[in-house]
Amino acid sequence: MIRSVDLEIHNDLSEIAVVRDALDRLGSELEVPSRALIQLQVALDEIVSNVVKYSWPDGSKHKFLVRITVQATGVALDIFDDGRPFDPRSAPEPNLALDGQRPRPGGVGIHMIKKLVDDLSYERIDGRNHTSLTKKCAIGAVSTED
Amino acid sequence: MNTNALTIGHSHEGGVCVVTLSGRIDSTNANDLMSRLNALISSGEKSIVVDFGAVLYLTSAAFRALLVATDEAERNAAKFVLCSLGGHVRELFEMGGLLEVFTIHPSRAEAVARLA
Repeated sequence: MIRSVDLEIHNDLSEIAVVRDALDRLGSELEVPSRALIQLQVALDEIVSNVVKYSWPDGSKHKFLVRITVQATGVALDIFDDGRPFDPRSAPEPNLALDGQRPRPGGVGIHMIKKLVDDLSYERIDGRNHTSLTKKCAIGAVSTED
Repeated sequence: MNTNALTIGHSHEGGVCVVTLSGRIDSTNANDLMSRLNALISSGEKSIVVDFGAVLYLTSAAFRALLVATDEAERNAAKFVLCSLGGHVRELFEMGGLLEVFTIHPSRAEAVARLA
């Protein structure tokens, strides 16, 4: 069982709703376990919002591709964008809070992605970033963890 | 497009303002949450409980909104606490390293009782 959906969206935070809703539809149709689906939604939001916010510093309008692939063994999220090179694996760890102080926002998203998925890979090909997130889960199986 | 992924309501229980969130908090709507919380704080609310009981999930954009609101509350001498974190939601706070950053109560009743 393999299903793949390609979605082209603009670098606008509101368009993340398009990929979110597509992942929801696929997830419920193909019975992705609810905990895995929630974690995939969070990872998708983190990685796509990162591309929207940082890939094109000039602020001009760009399109990029998000591919959601559901296989029997898990779900892959692939993002292809022609923005500036950025390897999320190299992002610094979030600033740890000093004693008695609140941590500052920033870097938390990438840090969470690493915990939410099983594999985070990146390559720069022909002037495009290809970022890939994979989460293993048994698709269509009755989940006992929820 | 699902434009109402997050609903934000608020009511008063005694002198405590309870903000009820329902749905998902992500980068498409976290700014709405931040504006709403900041508006309540600047309107003079001194005790605010944010109820996560009906939240499906939240992302780092939501954490940012909550951190900003926490700072804003502190500046205004207001109490700002969270309650009713379900299993998946609690796990996300934990992954973000933020479970210890906020004051979190197990239930709305307990949070309101503490702030009243």
